[in-house]
Amino acid sequence: MFKDLDPILHSQLRLAIISLLIGVKEADFNFIKEKTKSTAGNLSVQIQKLKDAGYIEVTKQFKDNYPLTTCSITKQGVHAFEIYVKALQGYLHTDKN
Amino acid sequence: MKSNKPLTEKESLDLITSMIQNAKASYHETGTNAILWGCVIAIASLLTYLSIELNFKLSFSPFLLTIIAIAFQIYISIKAAKESKVTKFEDAAINAVWLAFGISIMGLVLYLNIIPNSSIKLATQEGWQFTKHYLDANKPDEPLTPFAPSSYSLFILLYALPTFTTGIVKNYKPMIVGAILTYVLFIISCYTSTKYDMLAGTIAAISCWLIPGLILRRNYLQQKNSNV
Repeated sequence: MFKDLDPILHSQLRLAIISLLIGVKEADFNFIKEKTKSTAGNLSVQIQKLKDAGYIEVTKQFKDNYPLTTCSITKQGVHAFEIYVKALQGYLHTDKN
Repeated sequence: MKSNKPLTEKESLDLITSMIQNAKASYHETGTNAILWGCVIAIASLLTYLSIELNFKLSFSPFLLTIIAIAFQIYISIKAAKESKVTKFEDAAINAVWLAFGISIMGLVLYLNIIPNSSIKLATQEGWQFTKHYLDANKPDEPLTPFAPSSYSLFILLYALPTFTTGIVKNYKPMIVGAILTYVLFIISCYTSTKYDMLAGTIAAISCWLIPGLILRRNYLQQKNSNV
């Protein structure tokens, strides 16, 4: 019996965001936009969804008069990511058998 | 990248792997700090060595150069923090180690400046004094201001600490090798006079910071040029 894949994470852009944030302390919006090759509008929507789920923390401030959005993964986000990866590995292992 | 594209399990794992690699590859050390400290400490130690060897007196302590270096370091650190788009966990840990190193160096300087007078004061309160006694009986005993003999060895020992930590955390071999060499120089300096300790300090600064810093700088510029 497989665990259902977390629908919040099982989306290309949201999974990319979480995967980027899992290895760093924090990253700013432009960094995530550049690495995920996404549009600013789409990225904002997905970041908001991850924030609403409690998976990431979003800090908004100003740097040189420009808005700066910084994201970091929460403990809940790390836990959800670990469960997601384990579930994926379970699926792949069964496919091989 | 589309947000709602359906993913297979394999695609998901591939995406996770590529993003983690992407984040790892995004950061490149410029080597500026290492080059700065390598130059400053090597020059200060070498000048001190030469002044003893060639018997000339410097009008200022070469180690005052470190004050300029600290000011410059603060400037480039603020600039780097402004330009940085991502902060890694290891960077936070390494910064803490270097901050502790800076505080320890200042603490050691403070110790070396305070201990002589406070030792005299404490001894006087107890009713005794430090005395220089010549083995040659022709010279009378003299009052002695206590000092830590060959104290530069302690600085050399401290130079190795943050370098070794950084080398291990970042898996950067030139710094690990430089730090090990510095530990060896520390042991050697325990057996040599201050003059040669200064020479050991020069070699330590070059191997710990200057050479690894120049290698980092070369890699950084190569990476930067390949991205243009």
